[in-house]
Amino acid sequence: MVAYLFALRQGRWGIAGFGAIAFLITLLNAAGFYQVAGHTTAEREAFARSIDVLAAQFSVIVPPPMRPDTAGGYVQFRAYGALAIAFAIWALASASAAARGDEERGIVQAVLAAGISRLAFVASRAGAFAIAATVAALAGSAGVLVGVASGGESISPAAALEAGLVLVALALCCYSLTLLIAQFTGARSATPVAAAVLLALFLVNSLSRTFDWLVAWRRLSPFHYFEQSSPLVPGEAIDVGATLVLLAIAVAASALAAIAFRYRDIGSPLFSLPTPSRPASYEVSRALAWRIPVVRELYEQRVGLLVWTVGLATLGAIFVVLTKAIVEPLLTIPGLARYFSAFVHGDVYPSFLGLIWLSFTQLLMAGFAVTRVARWSAQDSDGRLELILSSPVSRAGVVIERVVVLAVEALIIVSVSGVSVWTESHSQSIDLDRGRLVAAMLLLVPFTLVFGVIGALLASRVPRATVGLLGILVFASYLITQLGPIFKLPTWVQDMSAFKLFGQPLTTGVDQTGLVIMVVIVVAGLVASAMVMERRDIGA
Amino acid sequence: MAVAAIHTAGLSKDYGLGRGLFELDLQVAQQEVFGFLGPNGAGKSTTIRLLMGLIKPTGGSAHIFGLDCIRDYVAVKKKVGYVPGEMPQFGGLRGSEVVAYFGGMRGGADVRFVRMLAERFNLDLSRRYREYSSGNKQKLGIVLAFMHRPQLLILDEPTSGLDPLIQQEFYALLNEAREDGATVFLSSHILSEVERACDRVGIVRAGRLVRIADLEELHSIRFHHVEIEFAAGARIPTDAIKAAAGVEEVVVDDHRVACTVKGSFEPLLHAIRDAKVANLVSHEPSLEEIFLEYYRESRRALPS
Repeated sequence: MVAYLFALRQGRWGIAGFGAIAFLITLLNAAGFYQVAGHTTAEREAFARSIDVLAAQFSVIVPPPMRPDTAGGYVQFRAYGALAIAFAIWALASASAAARGDEERGIVQAVLAAGISRLAFVASRAGAFAIAATVAALAGSAGVLVGVASGGESISPAAALEAGLVLVALALCCYSLTLLIAQFTGARSATPVAAAVLLALFLVNSLSRTFDWLVAWRRLSPFHYFEQSSPLVPGEAIDVGATLVLLAIAVAASALAAIAFRYRDIGSPLFSLPTPSRPASYEVSRALAWRIPVVRELYEQRVGLLVWTVGLATLGAIFVVLTKAIVEPLLTIPGLARYFSAFVHGDVYPSFLGLIWLSFTQLLMAGFAVTRVARWSAQDSDGRLELILSSPVSRAGVVIERVVVLAVEALIIVSVSGVSVWTESHSQSIDLDRGRLVAAMLLLVPFTLVFGVIGALLASRVPRATVGLLGILVFASYLITQLGPIFKLPTWVQDMSAFKLFGQPLTTGVDQTGLVIMVVIVVAGLVASAMVMERRDIGA
Repeated sequence: MAVAAIHTAGLSKDYGLGRGLFELDLQVAQQEVFGFLGPNGAGKSTTIRLLMGLIKPTGGSAHIFGLDCIRDYVAVKKKVGYVPGEMPQFGGLRGSEVVAYFGGMRGGADVRFVRMLAERFNLDLSRRYREYSSGNKQKLGIVLAFMHRPQLLILDEPTSGLDPLIQQEFYALLNEAREDGATVFLSSHILSEVERACDRVGIVRAGRLVRIADLEELHSIRFHHVEIEFAAGARIPTDAIKAAAGVEEVVVDDHRVACTVKGSFEPLLHAIRDAKVANLVSHEPSLEEIFLEYYRESRRALPS
């Protein structure tokens, strides 16, 4: 029992965060349906046709919608499609932390030393995650009921609970598979290997909608069984058999993980090759980079920076291809103009690139800022900042160096991404304005720094809560721009979002006011965080 | 007169609920090795963090070589080498890269001296930090503190996690640093360690400096718990043990004798010289026991 409570306590922020996300996503999609779909049968049928066409372009990623003319069908498609991915990521992070991360931190050793068996340990972690996922899924079900009620309609509570149950089954399945995979990998590679496997399972299912030769393989994918149930869609129900398959995989994978854990050494995978011995070295690294401020931080984070740079550049090229493929069929549907009129201004291709790629890149760059702020916060809590400040460097200097490093990293990432998009758009015959593309890319640097300096200020003030608070800020800021036009939020509310300050530089050029506000925020935030850093206690 | 290496006047850090450090008046001369002795939570690390300018005092002042620890914290750090109470995480960085990182940040690190230190402590700098044992992490902390040959070494429990052989090497390094002109401020909760390494010792308890003692005074208040196991059937010289100078609290249980010994072991060893001893174990008392003994001695010294 103590082990369960301890595991639940470990995951309390996950429960709160994903519970809030599930509630908001279902609530906003359900409530948003009534804003965008219209109220008459004709309006909703037109809306459904638009969604069907739009979804067909994304069938590589998401399953086709069922009855998108109803709130239930729309929420099943929009909200639960996204929640499946979100809960899978949560399961991945939780399971790899439980299996190997806590081992690195010595928590597993302490728990086992308290007389808890390895089997009980695995059971407690899986059980605690099941409770956590259930709580978060119930929040999602509540969001559906409240959102639909806001439109003056109703939906069966049983259907909402069934949608949550299927989500829990999928999350448990992903959790258990990650637990199992983590028994066979090194501690550091558990998350990426499990992520690669889950991604492959996701793609096997989603690509099977396009490639027939994958149809036979999709039965291997938990996402296939998840998609068999659409309880929110009128006339549809939970697929009990498919859900039981998910739960059976979860139980079997957990049991196998427990057995593997029983037989492996703590700190090692179940099978490992002996490492060759080599003579000790007492030499200091002679790399020049370590001696140069800013460069030393870039050098230390070079692998992560490379991954972000290549990832965003690749994503940019993919989005350009997708834009062409999506926009051409959409242009043939007059009814869609109404749906997109809230977003699209000016030339259609740059507008769609701005809408799809640039807004997603904004979100990723904000996420990048959060990862860097998380690093600053970790340096504070693990004592590295204390050791840095035992050198003759000023506290303000530390803050400035961090922000400059973030600016340089952002510049590198967006520059390569911009080149990638420019090259691919040329090959796709999309006429992008080079000046505007360059401006849009450069504008992403102050945009990233806005979150960076707010994070720096939070890290100087409340280091342990920094990542959570900044994540909430990014999420809220993003939601305002996504939902502001739909819910017709007041302009001043929308203007508070950094995403809004960024504007639409690909179509309308740089928003000078937004740029000035972002620069003011960056400068003021930098000065404030340097001042707070000078005054605060370190490591206390 | 040379400026003190460390000077504090009424230095306080009040965390509330009686926790923190209160009214610390301390002076450490240049080239002195000063031990700061106290149990866990006594205020040792708080004192060190105040000296390092990492936390702000709620009262009083602290100076290092005449420089204000808060106002002149950057200048202070040029003169100081620091081993923190707990080494931070450096993840996948190699030991050689951690040294280069801090060497680059600080400047003035002597690469040949670092190599000598690493060899001396048998610290493989090519390994990744996360592969280091806690002892190796501590060794790396010592290398980082010594690598620029600082004028003042502030060391927060520097030998924790080190094996006895490496501890000997560390004490030798400490002596060499002092001979080269360095001052050392070393916190510890192990009496024998400060006895061995330090010229003077400040004893801190519950956030207050109880006493500054030189080695002679420290010897006078220290004692040992001794357990002697005599061979089966052997005669136990109980009376001689009880009569031995410095031997107190004698308890005889079958063929075992437990007692405390203050000062020299010579009288006890003389008392049992003709008996067949199977085993003899001596334990150092805890700091709390030493404090109690210290207060007992202080009360005895008061005129009635």
